[in-house]
Amino acid sequence: MILASIILVLLAIVGAPLFAVIATSAMLGFYREETDLMNMALEIQGIGDLPFLAAIPLFTFAGYLLSESEAPKRLVRITGAFLGWMPGGLALVSLAACAFFTAFTGASGVTIIALGAILYPALKHDGYPDKFNLGLVTSSGSLGLLFAPSLPLILYGVIAEVSIDSLFLAGILPGLVMLAMLSIWSLWVNRANRKPVGTFSWKAAGAAIRESAWELPLPFVVLGGIYSGFLAVSEAAAVTALYVLIVEVLIHREIPLKELPRIMRSSMVLVGGILIILGVSLASTNYMIGAGIPQMLLEYVADLVTSPVSFLILLLVFLLVLGAILDIFSAIVLVVPLILPIAAQYGVNEVHLGIVFLAAMQLGYMTPPVGLNLFIASYRFEKPIMHVYSATFPFLIILMLSVILIAFWPGLSLWLVPSS
Amino acid sequence: MASGLAVNLDRLDRFGRFLENVALVTLLSGLMLLAVSQIVLREVFDTGIIWADELVRLIVLWLAMMGAIAACREDRHIRIDAITHLFPDRVIDVIRIGVDVFAAAVCGVIAWHAHRYLQLEIEFADTVLVDTPAWIAHLVVPVSFAVLSYRFMVSVVKKIYGLMYEESQVSP
Repeated sequence: MILASIILVLLAIVGAPLFAVIATSAMLGFYREETDLMNMALEIQGIGDLPFLAAIPLFTFAGYLLSESEAPKRLVRITGAFLGWMPGGLALVSLAACAFFTAFTGASGVTIIALGAILYPALKHDGYPDKFNLGLVTSSGSLGLLFAPSLPLILYGVIAEVSIDSLFLAGILPGLVMLAMLSIWSLWVNRANRKPVGTFSWKAAGAAIRESAWELPLPFVVLGGIYSGFLAVSEAAAVTALYVLIVEVLIHREIPLKELPRIMRSSMVLVGGILIILGVSLASTNYMIGAGIPQMLLEYVADLVTSPVSFLILLLVFLLVLGAILDIFSAIVLVVPLILPIAAQYGVNEVHLGIVFLAAMQLGYMTPPVGLNLFIASYRFEKPIMHVYSATFPFLIILMLSVILIAFWPGLSLWLVPSS
Repeated sequence: MASGLAVNLDRLDRFGRFLENVALVTLLSGLMLLAVSQIVLREVFDTGIIWADELVRLIVLWLAMMGAIAACREDRHIRIDAITHLFPDRVIDVIRIGVDVFAAAVCGVIAWHAHRYLQLEIEFADTVLVDTPAWIAHLVVPVSFAVLSYRFMVSVVKKIYGLMYEESQVSP
């Protein structure tokens, strides 16, 4: 058994598709428990039994459509019109625009490609140092994960069976704290060059609003629809996808109709990759819960952990290591079912746990060896990977501080959530 | 001979990609329209299709499986990928051949057991969507895993071919 586990871990490390590794571990488990392997099929079909899951393909598609249109440019312009008058304006504009865009596109690296391409040269033009720009753009690629309707938030809700509405509310303040801490740091680094982008003018603001008139209602459709009780999360996703489709294809005409199959395909490639891992993880989770693995883990950590505080410390260390190896989606479907019962033992609120989990996993986007954003940035801006590491490092430290703050201040996450 | 086979495989490849695109576009558009029309029916006409919610979930299952097949073709399945940057390309190719053979085998095993499960569903005449036989809805699982297994094998064959071809280029 130990040998099999070691071989599986090795296979995963040398690059076997993760779903195949997880499926094998589940099947080995079933085999040992003398459960018929037909159960694999039953578990994978379970993808079709989860509520709200339709939100994932629909929001992903909407995000891909937005990133293929001129929407990123409009987003930068409107953020610039409203925040550009502040000292260090462009750095703040970048952070805010990236966070907003990531919330809608689900932090799959699209932000760096779509927005980074606009912001990186613009920052340079305004005299910001190159290293700062690279770090800012790279770390902004996953900023906004905590804001609705980001895919990881939805996936956590589905897996942990926690109200997605509550998670959306819980993410707001911690997300703003992350944004604020990075903003303050950006202003401090560039204290010699706190050049505003321009003065605020009603004319420019009005023009930017008119230009984005079609996209501006989107956040209100999504959040308003959900909180008024009018729409379920998956319905809000369907409305968003259809709305974005009509706006970008028929009204703005920025995406030709014949490009749609390609965009649909590339968004569903991402979704297929995530959901097949979800499917096989349903099997492995079921096996592990049946075999009492969470209880074993609990007994194991019971010696180390005596209070919620020590639990959270251990959790953070674990998540930072995990985030460096595993992508956020695989981590959610694999690990959340195992730590939920343990967290409950120590009285950690499951909504708060979700926010801590995602915030810590966000750091994984920029920690070696597998930080996705590092590679995308290195590729996109043609910089050596080591250079991107060191440019991103200060941002990583700031975000780590914010994660510690979020973990040990549950009120931050739970303040906006109506207690039930 | 060999080139004729390659041409035919290439044709099969393009036809497969076309089928995937048709399936993905149909499923995603259907999902979007079904979910939106359900809202309109509920809010405007105060009614709804009783099996719509179940159909939405089944479409998600189909989208997941079709997306997984498309991801396989584009080599976009999620991998940990910690070593790609450590070794030369040739070594990576050899490792990738090994792990893809593993993936093909795993998919084959799942396809086989999913097929067995499907037989059981037919035998017990399970239904979904009021009175549709469940096996029609769940057919997608064994078929997709079989296709995944095939696709991983194709990528293995291509990589071996690539290595051999390179070899003859390097040492004449």
